[in-house]
This record gives sequence, C-alpha cells and structure tokens, in this order.
Amino acid sequence: MGLWRDISGTWKPMWITLRYLFRKPVTIEYPEQKRTPPPRYRAQLILTRDPEGKERCVACYLCSAACPVDCISLQAAEDADGRRYAAWFRVNFARCIFCGLCTEACPTLAIQTSIHYEICKRDPLSLVFEKEDLLVDHGGKDKFYNFYQHAGIGVCKPRGGGDGEYGPVDVKDLLP
Amino acid sequence: MPTLTIDNQPVTVAEGTTIIQAAERLGLVIPHFCYHEALGAAGSCRLCAVRIEKGPLKGIQMACMIPAQDGMVVTTLDPEAVEFRAHVAEWAMTDHPHDCPVCDEGGECQLQEMTIAAGHGTRRFRGLKRTYPNQDLGPFIVQEMNRCIQCYRCVRTYRDYCGGTDYGTFGSRNRVAYGRVTAGRLASPFSGNIIDLCPTGVLTDKTFRFKCRSWDLQEAPSVCPHCSLGCNTLPGARYRELLRVKARVNRAVNGFFICDRGRFGHGYQNHPQRLREPHVDGESVSWNDALAAVHERISQTTEHHGHGTVAFLGSRRATLEANLLLGQWAAATGCTRTVYECHPEFDRIARTVAARLGDQRRSPGDIQRSDFILLIGAEPLAEAPVLALAIRQAKRNGARIVILDPRPPQLPCAFEHLPLTPEQLQLALEQLATKKFKGWTRDESTTLRNLGKDLTAAQNPVIIGAGALLGAAGIERLFDLVDASSPAARPCGVLVPLAGPNSYAAGLLSNGGPDFDDLLDAILNGMVKTLVCLETDPFEDYPQHGRAQSALAQLESLIVLDALPTQTTRHADIVLPTTVPVESDGCYINHEGRLQAFAKVLDPGLSVAVTGGGDHPPRIFEQSAPGNLPRPAWAILAEILKLPTETAALRQQLARTDNRFAALTQIHRAAEGEIVTAIGIPPRPQDDDGAVESSVPGSLQLWPIDTFGGADIFSTYSVHLDPLRDEPYILLADEDAKQRGLTDGAGAVLTSELGHLKVRVRCTATIPAGIAFLPHLLRGATAGFVPGGGALSCTLKSVEGEA
Repeated sequence: MGLWRDISGTWKPMWITLRYLFRKPVTIEYPEQKRTPPPRYRAQLILTRDPEGKERCVACYLCSAACPVDCISLQAAEDADGRRYAAWFRVNFARCIFCGLCTEACPTLAIQTSIHYEICKRDPLSLVFEKEDLLVDHGGKDKFYNFYQHAGIGVCKPRGGGDGEYGPVDVKDLLP
Repeated sequence: MPTLTIDNQPVTVAEGTTIIQAAERLGLVIPHFCYHEALGAAGSCRLCAVRIEKGPLKGIQMACMIPAQDGMVVTTLDPEAVEFRAHVAEWAMTDHPHDCPVCDEGGECQLQEMTIAAGHGTRRFRGLKRTYPNQDLGPFIVQEMNRCIQCYRCVRTYRDYCGGTDYGTFGSRNRVAYGRVTAGRLASPFSGNIIDLCPTGVLTDKTFRFKCRSWDLQEAPSVCPHCSLGCNTLPGARYRELLRVKARVNRAVNGFFICDRGRFGHGYQNHPQRLREPHVDGESVSWNDALAAVHERISQTTEHHGHGTVAFLGSRRATLEANLLLGQWAAATGCTRTVYECHPEFDRIARTVAARLGDQRRSPGDIQRSDFILLIGAEPLAEAPVLALAIRQAKRNGARIVILDPRPPQLPCAFEHLPLTPEQLQLALEQLATKKFKGWTRDESTTLRNLGKDLTAAQNPVIIGAGALLGAAGIERLFDLVDASSPAARPCGVLVPLAGPNSYAAGLLSNGGPDFDDLLDAILNGMVKTLVCLETDPFEDYPQHGRAQSALAQLESLIVLDALPTQTTRHADIVLPTTVPVESDGCYINHEGRLQAFAKVLDPGLSVAVTGGGDHPPRIFEQSAPGNLPRPAWAILAEILKLPTETAALRQQLARTDNRFAALTQIHRAAEGEIVTAIGIPPRPQDDDGAVESSVPGSLQLWPIDTFGGADIFSTYSVHLDPLRDEPYILLADEDAKQRGLTDGAGAVLTSELGHLKVRVRCTATIPAGIAFLPHLLRGATAGFVPGGGALSCTLKSVEGEA
C-alpha cells in the first residue's frame, strides 16, 4: 500500500499541473495587465462633488469620529455664502484599513471609496493625502444627492426655498 | 417633607420640589427641554410626561409642573407615557431642518439626545417645514431659528435670569420666534449664557463657529482668570488652540453662568505676540542657558552688592504654587523684600481682606439668598460681573438693593441709587458705622439714617465695596462698618472684589512685608540691584508710571517670567516664557479665600491654524510641537529650587512647608473649592488718607475706572472682546459738560499730569458735579490711567470740528 501511495502522490500533482497548462490562467500579469475591480470595491477614499459641481463635504467630522484607526483629520471653515466646507482634509493611507466606516458615517455622501487601489508608495509621507489629492470632479456612486437642498438653513438657496419647505414666516405677524 | 415613589423607588424631598427634581435625586433623568435647574420649569415643551398612578392628579402629567406630594406614585416607564414622549419628540422634529452635519451643537445637542431617547427615528410627517428669517445678533452669537423647538429657555435665561431687555418672544401659533426687535449685538454682558442654555443649535458661539466638534475638544475643569470671582469654566481646545469657554457648575460661586468677558475672552492663549522662547539680553537661547543666566545674574548681584540686593515680585495672576515658590526662592537668596502685588493700594486692600474677612465672607451663591445688599463704591459689572448676576437673583428673591456710588449704576435689576462723591462715600462708611450723621443735606441725612436702620434690621445683609474708588482706607472703613452692623446673632456679610484672580493669595502671602512703594524706594536708594518679576507688569500696573520707570531703569538686571509681552518683558534682561492658565495645572484663591484648582487643558504650542497658515498642517514629521517652549511658572521655579516639577508631588511639598495651604493636596478633588481660613496680617496704617489734593478752579476730579470690556492683560489680548471696548471716553455730569460747552458724544481733549488725551464725551445726570470717570485699558490710549491710584486733576476742552 505504501508504495502505491507514493507513486500516485508523485504522479497526481504532475497530472494536475499538466492539465492546467491548457487552461486559461486565473492570475494576470500585474502591473502590465490591470484588473477593474467591482464598483463597490473599497480602495482609495475620494471626496466627491454635488450635481452643481460644488464640494459635497461639509466638514462635519463624522468620518474622523467613525474612523477606527484615526487616519482622517480635517478643519471646517465657512465661506462667504455660509457654506461649511473643509479648509483642509487629510487622510493618512499609511494608516487606513479601508474599512469604509467613514463612508457609512458621511451624511452628505461626500467621502466615498473608489476602485483606485494603486496607492502603494515607498515614502510614508507620500501616503498622506491632502484635500487636493482626494477631491474628484464627479459625484461618485451617487450623481444626484445635494445635502444643502435638503438641509433647511438657506445655504446655497433662499431660506424656505429647499425641498419641502415654506416661508420664511413673518415673526411679527400676530394673525391667527 | 413629602415621600413619594418613582419607578418603585421611594424618595423624600423638600416641600415644593417637582417630580422631575425628585427623580433627579434618584438618578433618574426624565427627558426634558424647557426645565433647567437654574431657570425652573415653563411647561412648554411637554416632553417630561410621566404617569401618576396615585395622587391628586392622576394620569399623564408633566413632571416639571407637578409638585411632589406625600404618597404619590409615579412611573416614568409607563407605555402610555413613553408613547406620549415619543410623539412630542416627533412633533419637535416636524419643522426641524435636519442639518446636524453643519450645526455646531451636533454632538452636545439635547434635541439629538432626547429624540434618540424617545425612540423617534423615521419621519412620518409629509407636510411642509416652516422656516424663519434669522437675525444678526452681533459678534458673539449666531442664530439659526429653523432649529428652534420653542422651549423659551433663551428668553428665560436672557430676560429673567440675566436681566437683559433687548431679546424676547415674537409671533403667534407656529410662528413663535425669539430675537431682538432689530438686528444687533445683544446688550447684556451675560448674553453668552443663552448659548449654553439653548438645548438645540439655535444659538451657537460665533467665535467657535465651525471650529471643532464637541467630541474632539480637549477639555478640563478650569477657573476663569479675568477677575477675582473665580468662576468655574470648562475651556475647550483643539489643534493647540483654545477655542471656547463654557460655564462649569459651581453652585457656591457662579452657578451655571459666566459673563461674556470670561466666555469670549479666550484669545490670549494663542495671541500671535505670545512669548515663546527664553531670551537673555534680547537673544533667543535654550532653557538651560536661560536658567544658567538667571543663576549667574543672581549670584553676581549677591557677590558684588551683598545679600538682600535681589528682590522678588509676585503677582495677582500667577498661580498660588508659583507665588509660594517665589517666596521660597526669595528666602533661599536671603531676600527680605518680597512683594506680591505691584499696585500698593490694591496690595493694602488684599491684605486687609485677607486679615479681616473671616466668617463674614460671602460668595455670589450666598448673595442670592441675601435680603439686603448695600453696594458702596462698587461697580460689579466691571469688577466682578457674575456678582451683578447674583445681585439680580437676590432682587428676584425680594432683596433690597441700595447703591452708594457716583457712577450711574449698570446693575441688571432695579435698585435705589444715591450718587455720592468718593469723599462722601468715605464719610458715609464712617458715619453708617457710628450712626452719627454730620455734614449732609437734610434729605441725604434722612436717607442714610434710614439705611443704617434697615441694615441693622435686615436678616441677611451684605455690604459690597471695591477698591478702585474707596481705596485701602475706604475698605478698612467698610470692614469697620461690617463689624458695627454685625450683632452676635446675625453677622453682616461682606464681599470685596479684588484686583485679580489670585489677589487674595497675594494678600495672604505678604505676611506684613514691604509693599511695592518700599521696594521702589529701595531700588532708587541702590539697595536692590536685581528684580525678579513673576507674571506681573510693574511698568503698567503701578499707578505712577514715571516713578516705576525711573526706578526700574536703575536695576542691573531685570528677570521676568511671563506669558504675554508687557512693558516689563520689553525692558527685561532675561525673559522666561510661561504658560497661560489653561496650559498648566494651578490654583487660585478668589476674593473670599476660596482655593480652587484648575487643570491643564492643552499643551502650549503654535496652533495648527498658524503653522499651516490656514491650510493643512505642514507635511513634516516632528517629535515636538512648534512653539511649545513656554513652561508653567511653578515648574520653572521648582526646577530652580530643585523641587519636584510634577503637580501632585509639588503640592504635597508646598502643603507641608506652609500649613495654611494644607488643602492643596486634596484640592483637585474639591468640587466647590476649599475656603482658606488662615488669617493674613493687616497692612501697616497709612498716614496718607487717599485724600484728593485741592484742585485748580475749573478742573475736574478724574477717576480712572475699570469697565466690563476688561483691563486685565488676558482681556486686552483677546481680540474677540474688542467690540465690548469703546474708544476712550470720559463720563461726566451734564452740568460740567454744559459749562465747558460740550455735548454728549462730542470730542474733547483731556489734559492732566499724564498729558493730553483725545476722548469722547458721555454725559449723564446722575454723576455729582466736579467728578469725571475715564475707563482704563491696558495697552490702549488710557493705559496710563490706572484705577486705584486715587483721583487726578484734569481739564477738559472741546475739540473744534468734531461731531
């Protein structure tokens, strides 16, 4: 029995190898050849824009609060028309574990995962992405959502001009 | 004392306690919006619904409106009550703009908490949301009315508690809104409290707008450094910058409230002119070299000129630890001239207070329970603003408020005012004590006599007086009056606001030693060659600038420890940069001898906003933060003295050395601070009675005074407070203005021994003729006019062509 097992154990793998020689390979010749990951693949984070082409990020800090490895830091600021935005936004991809919790926390769909996975660098500092490296000029996975159209505080639209609003009311009116 | 049962737990509470307060005693928080411990209940939000099973009113009731009664049985978890609360939360959200991501309240929002607690998550309302117009409420507060849930807390805080009049309720039905009649800055000096009290993001801090989230803030219990009251605060910092200050609860001191000076006066921490590096003779050096230079200068002075030629100057704004260590260092170098306050008059006042306060001390918390408050020469809004708030609460509780002061009082409540000149105040103090009234008009005499009688008849009277007008002699008289109106059965209280956050400690530590006048004499006589200044500015804070300058110019070396640039640091040979209060642990002793500890909030360093220039932080790796060289003054002194530089160990050591401060070891655990009961040594009697020199005809008696905008170094380095500070103005009587052809708002030139000064005229009918007041502002045009140095003689001329 022992002898038969040794013989089959020698020939079986050789047979499998021989068989696979004539099949289409599973692996690809990376980096000459590149594969397109599925759309919901979680790779480099991006900051998207709303349908009007403005930055979606309102610098609410929820992504940095949700991040389990503290790789997101940012500073909020206010521009002339009352819009809250990120003065700077930094993601340290040397720390990022690509868990996507930031994208789930984001209330404005600003921060999203992208399929761009080629971000390995030799210098750790070049893995620290600033806002200009993260900001893209499209809406990512959602092309239509515009936070300020739903947040009823009259930013980027007249007060009371958002979806499902009326007014502003006259507060000095005492009529019933 | 009714005993009731809430959720199967019995609790006995005082008569008049509401169910919500009784539940709080048991540790049960019934959801609520409009109820607040300091404001009481309004019954307007309907969120605190509970079910009363047994009692006079059965069924679903508002817990904040029903007083607890004996035998009552209450359930908070009754399904009907829970559903009621869920509906109320849902109603509160029907018009809510759902903008939490851009709302500064997010993370510390009571509406968020209560909505989640009530279980409301999905919006069912399909109607339109009502929106409001917003109002510009000035440089401190942002209003976003769409977030309002109509709990009336802001109006109850602003109008009822703080006594403001320019903010109120507008509209009807579902248009109820809060604001001013016209847009503009809220006039009350306590306006910032509506930010703390608002349960949603309607009213937020403009100086903190979009700076940070509450969960990212570094926070630690702290004590306000802007006046001697020692209000408890909760500063918040992020990215090496102090961003905001909130009130912290201390029922004995400030309750739930602080003033706008304390709240918005935080710009000093990250002022661009902060001293960041040790300097020796103008050259930036390392700490080791700087400390070596200090040792060298001091030993050189002692070698060449003998022991005792080095003097030490403590400070009213340095921590107790630093002042104590300075004393130890002085003793080690054989110095007999250690002074803890560079304003001799304020020094004498602090010593008097430390020596005589005793059991008659009153905190603002005690003031609220007083029934008769007599203010003599005190302007609480300028000298200790939260005291004005406490006086208002006393008034609301039915107290009588009488003010003897030449200035038009600015108290946020009704009062009786008798405008007396500063000389008359001294006379009044003396004669109220002796009960023999001479030298008054018939009316005045009757008023004062009645006042004396009422003071004796009152159950819980308090006398409040401050040093700027009364002077040290006046404060002595004030204490005599307090003693005279204190029969054994009922002591009369006294409260004297002091010059700085740690003035009381300075008075206590002086131990009958010399004052700054003596020290200046010694410098002028060549007996002192080196002066070490601890966080103090004798060039600016000593009333006679010329004398201080000529004396200090004779020093061989001037060694200064300070956080912010002053005239003294500019003249110093060695500058050691220290931290500001939020950047280190420390203790202050407030006006009533209450020792309070504050903890370090953040490390010193240039903020990210500065190092990044508004953009992202620099892309470099560094072991330490830039600009982090300032060290706590006590740590520098402890290193010089080779004592532990760690807070707890140092406090142990200091408590052992000086048993008056035995409480230091436990102080970080004391929620309301510890009263230091040690008694100081009173100042030596003075020959000069602070009498004003007879003036030239046509001249005015000019009294420099403090104002709410603040004259302390921390306020003047806080840019957010600039809107509170007016251009130099002079306050005088209508008739004096008329005599000089001046009208209200006109420009004038003030001429005094300090030179000429362009001022704006403000006249009022209540000031006695012949007296004028000039607000003092450090680093401003009126820096030379230091309050507490008595009156100056001045003339006033109108400027042609000024409107």
